[in-house]
Amino acid sequence: MTHPINPDSSRRLFLRQAGAMATLGAAGPMALNLAAVGAASAQTATDYKALVCIFLFGGNDSYNMVLPTDAASWSAYSAVRNQAPESIALLAPGAAVKTAAAVGSPARLGGVLPITPLNAQGRSFALHPSLTTLQAMFNTDRRLAVVPNVGPLVVPTTKAQYALATHPKPASLFSHNDQQNTWQAFQPEGATVGWGGRLGDLIAAGNQRAIFTAVSASGNAVWLSGQSVRQYQVGGNGAIRMGADTNGRLYGSTAVAAAMERIVRNGRGGHVFEGDLGAVSQRSIDAELALRTALKPASDSLFGTAPASGAYNASNDPKLRYTPDPLAPAETAFNSLAQQLQVVARMIEASSNAGIGARRQVFFVSMGGFDSHDAQNRNQADLMARLGHAMRYFDITLGVIGARNQVIAFTASDFGRTFTSNGDGTDHGWGSHHLVMGGAVRGGDFYGSFPALALKNTNNNNFDGSPNQLGNGSLLPEVAVDQYGATLGKWFGASDTQLLDVFPNLANFSNRNLGFTL
Amino acid sequence: MHIHGPGNNLHVRSVANVPASPKERDAVKLRTLRQAAGMLALAALLAACGGGGDGANGPGVVAPEMPASRGAAARFLTQATFGPTDAEVERVLAIGYGAWIDEQFNKPTSQHRLTWEAADAAAKAADPTNANAGAGQNGSINAFWRAAVSGEDQLRQRVAFALSQIMVISMLDGTVGDNPRAVSAYVDLLADKGLGTYRDLLEGVALHPMMGVYLSHLRNQKADPRTGRVPDENFAREVMQLFSIGLHELNADGSAKLNAGARIDTYGSADIGGLARVFTGWSWDCPGAPASGCFYSGSLNGASDPDRQFKPMIGYASFHSSEGKFFLGRTIAAQTTADPRASLQVALDTLAGHPNIGPFIGKQLIQRLTSSNPSAAYVSAVAGAFADNGRGLRGDLKHVVKTILMHPEARAMTSSSGKLREPVLRLSAFLRAQGFRSDSGEFRVGNTDNPGTALGQTPMRSPSVFNFYRPGYIAPGTQATAEGLVVPEMQLVHETTAAGYVNFMRDNVGSGVGAFNSASNRREMQGEFTAELALADRPTDLVALANRKLMYGSMPAALTSEIEGAVASIAIPAATGTNQAAIDGAKRSRVNTALLLTLVSPEFQIQK
Repeated sequence: MTHPINPDSSRRLFLRQAGAMATLGAAGPMALNLAAVGAASAQTATDYKALVCIFLFGGNDSYNMVLPTDAASWSAYSAVRNQAPESIALLAPGAAVKTAAAVGSPARLGGVLPITPLNAQGRSFALHPSLTTLQAMFNTDRRLAVVPNVGPLVVPTTKAQYALATHPKPASLFSHNDQQNTWQAFQPEGATVGWGGRLGDLIAAGNQRAIFTAVSASGNAVWLSGQSVRQYQVGGNGAIRMGADTNGRLYGSTAVAAAMERIVRNGRGGHVFEGDLGAVSQRSIDAELALRTALKPASDSLFGTAPASGAYNASNDPKLRYTPDPLAPAETAFNSLAQQLQVVARMIEASSNAGIGARRQVFFVSMGGFDSHDAQNRNQADLMARLGHAMRYFDITLGVIGARNQVIAFTASDFGRTFTSNGDGTDHGWGSHHLVMGGAVRGGDFYGSFPALALKNTNNNNFDGSPNQLGNGSLLPEVAVDQYGATLGKWFGASDTQLLDVFPNLANFSNRNLGFTL
Repeated sequence: MHIHGPGNNLHVRSVANVPASPKERDAVKLRTLRQAAGMLALAALLAACGGGGDGANGPGVVAPEMPASRGAAARFLTQATFGPTDAEVERVLAIGYGAWIDEQFNKPTSQHRLTWEAADAAAKAADPTNANAGAGQNGSINAFWRAAVSGEDQLRQRVAFALSQIMVISMLDGTVGDNPRAVSAYVDLLADKGLGTYRDLLEGVALHPMMGVYLSHLRNQKADPRTGRVPDENFAREVMQLFSIGLHELNADGSAKLNAGARIDTYGSADIGGLARVFTGWSWDCPGAPASGCFYSGSLNGASDPDRQFKPMIGYASFHSSEGKFFLGRTIAAQTTADPRASLQVALDTLAGHPNIGPFIGKQLIQRLTSSNPSAAYVSAVAGAFADNGRGLRGDLKHVVKTILMHPEARAMTSSSGKLREPVLRLSAFLRAQGFRSDSGEFRVGNTDNPGTALGQTPMRSPSVFNFYRPGYIAPGTQATAEGLVVPEMQLVHETTAAGYVNFMRDNVGSGVGAFNSASNRREMQGEFTAELALADRPTDLVALANRKLMYGSMPAALTSEIEGAVASIAIPAATGTNQAAIDGAKRSRVNTALLLTLVSPEFQIQK
């Protein structure tokens, strides 16, 4: 699965950096050292880099996100997924849009969107019809790469080995909560140390304030927790001031506000949980104080759209609204993932602020709703539209603030789904395809061999025609999460030794850099 | 280990030499009723010999029957209700814990669906020209708050709320959210069957159409071997993982069984495939059944049942798998005529008979009511109560709940006992303690999802079937984790919710709770602060009152003095004859300060 280095890449790198320079020259809000892209050792880093995990909660059906369109693959795909009462088989490239068809149905979406990887592995590929923005980022901008068939693995595993009870396998496969934890922290539920946080541990010394090393714009995520690094949760509109008004008063009194702060920071009753609770409040107050002046407002034209009158309301910002149905372009809806990425962009823009001083940051954002057991057509068409819109918004915004080459965003999810259909949806699987985006990504290509798709056997459910598919056609991963993460970690600045420490199964895989970063 | 608080400061980590058989257990209970004082002494003795280790404890452990103090009664009510009130404290003091529990079991049940329907009718009557007028989702949420704040059947409703976090449906799902009346009916089901038998509850949950919508077994069809369609596995998987047996084989004390050091999976993919066949062919109750139109849409030729959204789903033989069904070591033989009802009975009997249920469900109920980290002995006692109620009945949930609330460990206060109050229970405790009433009678708290401006939690709006938090959640980087403790509710705590909670409660204390009522020109839920205002010029007494009402007298001295200082810092102007408004305003600010600083303290937020 080693990916051949593309001979074209250095030329593309030059073009991309030149483009970024031009962008910086035009907008120039931020003095980032573009010349240092890629090479610096993290501990002594003088440049800035960030990783952004976009977690798709529920288990994304990546079979319908990245599709092989060569004849053999396509015929298996169409046959297996075209089931009554509601076919979930997307239509071939070029299929006409049927305006009378139901919202989200394959007929209304039209054909899948062809993409042109530099190395097509002798096959042809396409994206879900809702991903028009990502098609352009893959084909034209070349800032988007696909890593096929990623999933938790302990060791490289063949289909024959999978059937052996003695072969080492991740615990509690196919279970949502356990696989979310395993993707983020290499253990089922109960894990406390994730690989984003561990990368943070190794580089927190380079940051002026450790609290801003690992930041969630979603809820608590174990991916962000290191051995010493703890995540900071920032609200969608930025940090929220606790208790007091803008004059520092609570119920009209600064003394009461001060007492409130003292009370929430500590427990006095001797209970273990009190101290833990107090520590969170303490971080909330301290971080808000720093961000109050450092963060530019969401309405700043760098990130959003100032309202003609009245207070800024993210849900009314056209930049944060997407089009759920391409046939009704006038009807837009608020995209909460875009808002999360907006506050991430604001944090990145503020990273060089004297009060923040961050050189390496990991961020976590998420969307839910991917558990498409039923009504998959409508749901996934909407989810893909939101994902595509939010990633494109983030890419554009990073361009505006001149940080495109310093930030890599990547997808993760509980698991892929079954190849088979249950009539209008899919069930829990294992391996899945993922997207990596950024100016430092060798975009427009696939990193890892794309799995073979087979027909369901008539006499069993084992998909004997494919070495990559298991029962119900779930994908047996070919790329371990460790390899995926280590490739990102290497770009981030971790040494080979550190990567072996962060990624517990990495030593079991010979290819420790999938090659998708510059 | 710190021991603190009012009443019976028992540290009962390990109790030994207690009667194990049901008969002995009953004998102990009888003795306890008569000899509460003697039992106290026994518990104290046990505490003295305690200190780690599991002990060979039977299921008959019970705590003293009579509260040792007013604070002890209030603390018990924090576990068993949505928050103590003076009236309930008096009741527990008068009749004791066990009698109070029995009395609660017999209270008339609050009716969520009927409450929703009344609100819906009122909304339509108030706005007759608006086709969209109605109670909507908020009507279902408000019905929860009405029962939580003013319902007489507090224990039943508190157990239903606990079960709503184990057998989860959520209005965040679009289709479930479009059927709030049926969601309220689902809460009614949990309140009704939640104090019946587990087997009956499981069947009610499995066949509720909102569960069918949420976990997609409604309209799930048998496999089509010709085309390769397979049954939907969603409910089959989650009913095992979450609602019944869990992922790993358990000992009766809740610990995992091990094989060569590894946990043992309770099921694999083949079991899910087998059970998925059972959950094919279920759909809406429908006058035209079993016609396929009914199966697909719940109606035939325009005729449908107006209550189909909450009437139990019915089996449609032609859509049910007649293949053999193999799961958990059981076999349902291939059926000549597909029989969904017969398949279901075997499946639910198999699940409900599994030895994991007592420790798996029992431990989670303990976590929802009394303690995040029950000892092995506590889980054992509850699992034993689940296995046999003393009269040979398995899965008697009244007996399980009573055992949870009566266990000595539920009375003990240590540095790691109890649990973090979830946001909904923090608010409910405040509303009940301060006697909140609703101008509309509907308790319009509404949606409190927003983590930055509200609670970050709304009843019946969990983010997924995995609830707001996991029972095994370990908060990274905390002292609790260093001590090997789980804190499920901590999964909702982060820098945004910490600030959001303070700000939300600031406004609730200062202005009242819920939607603005234009008729009364105020937030439509208002509390009773007369007693507090009367003490506004005496900070010590004012804070003592907050301590009694909200913290069952457990406020540490350092917190007391901090709050007293803040209260005293607000000057009450001397009367001039013309400044009564300023005097009243200052007094109210003092009361607000005393209450808010109590509510935001970590000491209040931990239900010890």
